[in-house]
Amino acid sequence: MAEDKQLFEKICGDLVELKDTSEMMMDLAYSALLYNSRQIAEEVMMLEERMDNLHTEFELLVLSSRGEPEDARGLLGLIRMGVVTERIADAAAEIAEVVLRSEETHPVLRMVIEDAEETVDRVMVSEGSLVLGKTLREARIPQETGMWVLVIRRGNRWMRPKPSTVLEAGDIVIASGYADGEEDFRKLVGGDGEQVLPDENF
Amino acid sequence: MNDVERIEYTPVSVRETLILMKDISELMIDLAYSAALFGNRELAEEVMELERKMDTLVYVLNMNLMLAARDKEDAETLSGVAKVGSLTNSISDAAADIAGMVLHGIEIHPIVREVFQRAEEHLARVQVSEDSFFAGRTVDDLDLAAEVGADIIAIRRGRHWMINPEKEVVLPEDVLVARGTASGLEKLVKAASGEAKDLG
Repeated sequence: MAEDKQLFEKICGDLVELKDTSEMMMDLAYSALLYNSRQIAEEVMMLEERMDNLHTEFELLVLSSRGEPEDARGLLGLIRMGVVTERIADAAAEIAEVVLRSEETHPVLRMVIEDAEETVDRVMVSEGSLVLGKTLREARIPQETGMWVLVIRRGNRWMRPKPSTVLEAGDIVIASGYADGEEDFRKLVGGDGEQVLPDENF
Repeated sequence: MNDVERIEYTPVSVRETLILMKDISELMIDLAYSAALFGNRELAEEVMELERKMDTLVYVLNMNLMLAARDKEDAETLSGVAKVGSLTNSISDAAADIAGMVLHGIEIHPIVREVFQRAEEHLARVQVSEDSFFAGRTVDDLDLAAEVGADIIAIRRGRHWMINPEKEVVLPEDVLVARGTASGLEKLVKAASGEAKDLG
């Protein structure tokens, strides 16, 4: 029974990750579309690959649990939920494909694209970055730059930002917000040189 | 049989409609997972309501896109946008399938449910009673996130939905969908149903 419990904890962990990943993909795919960003669309395509692997792992795990006949319905529920996350992820990837395929300059796309005032951007945390080793709470990215962190990529893991997340060198931070904060965002997170951000409360 | 209604053309902003569709599909996903994890049929029914709303939006979006095309380049670009609309609809269909599972009695394995219930955030649905102090106040004014750690993420008034409400006034009989910690939700539900006179 203890073994069962462990297996189920693992299954749950995988399902939570599938769910989170599919929702992140949706968020990023829409950001890519509304802010017309090919970079972010590419990010979605990378996540799609990760998602496919995760989903297979998850299904194998569910199938390997030796449930009693009366568990079958519960296991079916799990498999179905997994399939739904996969469908959501596929739809998000297809939205990203629409962005990658579209002619950026076409005038009717303006019906969809946000005014130039808002943007989405991705920046890598460098060794010289001011936010290196800080938690997101301490990094104060929204307060300093007006940009809102959507997702953080670390190697081949994508994470939702939490106040307690510690930023490491090499992390890719994806954020959206007003375009006039983009420069500040790049400096704060990318840390190119010794430029220190002006302190508003000085 | 469900009633199938004729959908009339209404001029809308394509971008705002797409954003609304995105918000609705996200809300549907949240509601559908919660419905599945707690075997909650009421939440599942709300998902189905939203699904109908989504179907209407797709039609209206496509009508507006068709009228916007003037030449073949327009058509090429606009079909991409139409594709996004239909993909968003597929996302909502996926959510509706989870809700359908709940309504058909396919349950989630109890051990899984137990693990999920430890998650930090939950969803709840509650109808506002006549004597709740919520009635007549705006969502911003109630400031529930700060007060109890749970917030109203949608209001349904009859068949009309308000997603991510801020300045909207809560009225008696509104159905609220709220997200937050288990204890925060409990306080919110008690206050909205009139069972408690404050958020204490």
